[in-house]
Amino acid sequence: MNPKLETLFDEPEKAYLQTDELNALSQFVSSLPERINLYQRLRNEEVTLMQGVADALQQKFSQESEDKLKRSLQNGILMVRYAAMAMLTDDVDMVTKRLETWLPEIIAAYETRAIDIALYQLIKEQFGGRFSPAQMALLSPHLDAAERLITATATPDAAEEEITSETLVGLF
Amino acid sequence: MISVADLLVDNRLPSNYFASDVYVRGTLELGLLENRRGDRLLALPDALMKSIISGLNQETGQATKYVLRNCGLWWGKNFYARFCEELSDYYQKGVADLSMIEFVKALQECWRTHGWGVLTLNTDYQMQGFLVIEVKNSPFTLHPIQPNQPSGALETGVLQAFFSQLTGRDLTCMQISCESLGADCNRFVLGLENRLESVEALVQEGQPHTAIMQMLTQ
Repeated sequence: MNPKLETLFDEPEKAYLQTDELNALSQFVSSLPERINLYQRLRNEEVTLMQGVADALQQKFSQESEDKLKRSLQNGILMVRYAAMAMLTDDVDMVTKRLETWLPEIIAAYETRAIDIALYQLIKEQFGGRFSPAQMALLSPHLDAAERLITATATPDAAEEEITSETLVGLF
Repeated sequence: MISVADLLVDNRLPSNYFASDVYVRGTLELGLLENRRGDRLLALPDALMKSIISGLNQETGQATKYVLRNCGLWWGKNFYARFCEELSDYYQKGVADLSMIEFVKALQECWRTHGWGVLTLNTDYQMQGFLVIEVKNSPFTLHPIQPNQPSGALETGVLQAFFSQLTGRDLTCMQISCESLGADCNRFVLGLENRLESVEALVQEGQPHTAIMQMLTQ
């Protein structure tokens, strides 16, 4: 759940919640049907939505190896699933919290950053055409959080790059 | 053409298994802190770490670091088995089929989530047959064992056992820099025993890790 809302419940011993705090809670609750509806669409249409993205990606990177494109698409599908869950629970930190120490290094190691950045644009385009502006407003902050993880990916760490090609077993 | 349905054939995509908010849970009404599989976790107070070292120092004197290293070896052996079991359950394939980056990333996240610090693999010396593990913010080296000597005996044992099992080679691990001595991180060098023989003396002399690695790789 939205971390700000979550902290509302932390200290019942301290004081009753104030009107503005209860309003924030009401707002979240009243947005829930919309969130659930969008979540269900993302779930039910996952394959169709992402196939559209995959086709466009493959067209754009026709010279690229299929393995890299698949790897990038898996990241994309994963990101959208996290974004969907974060949207459902209105948890602005979820994508960052769960993936910030993991995803950037995976991307760096597989060297899919350029493809991932393009993929994200395609996801936005594809989703923008399918969902209403109100729905996109719910989902976008979380997709943006995922995009920040991709664009923030540092230049690949030499060590991690080598780990993919050189197994540790053969090292000694 | 790439088929998304094929990518989702078992409808799951592994990601960060050790994400802290998912990994650490508990049946707290029973006094149990647990990981996401239901295995028990312990919160280890710093005062206990300090007491173990003081107690060992008092009872065994110079042998403290050997005892701790030995404990680390046992721990590392079990840790490796459990770690592999958890990963292969999660990825639904054997650890041997994981890519090395997936494995290493999981190890790093595991270390971080357990509060053991930030672990990185430095492969700068891999051509010469050495692997350097760097750990920042380790809870295990906070308390000195002997004055002016690295205090990561326990971690040295864990890493030695873990990487020996991973690589199938009998490796030795030596600590060559220590946060407790003002270094930016703990560094552990792993390699074959006969190639690390000179390290202990160099560490005792207080040689910096860069000089030690230079001498090792000459």
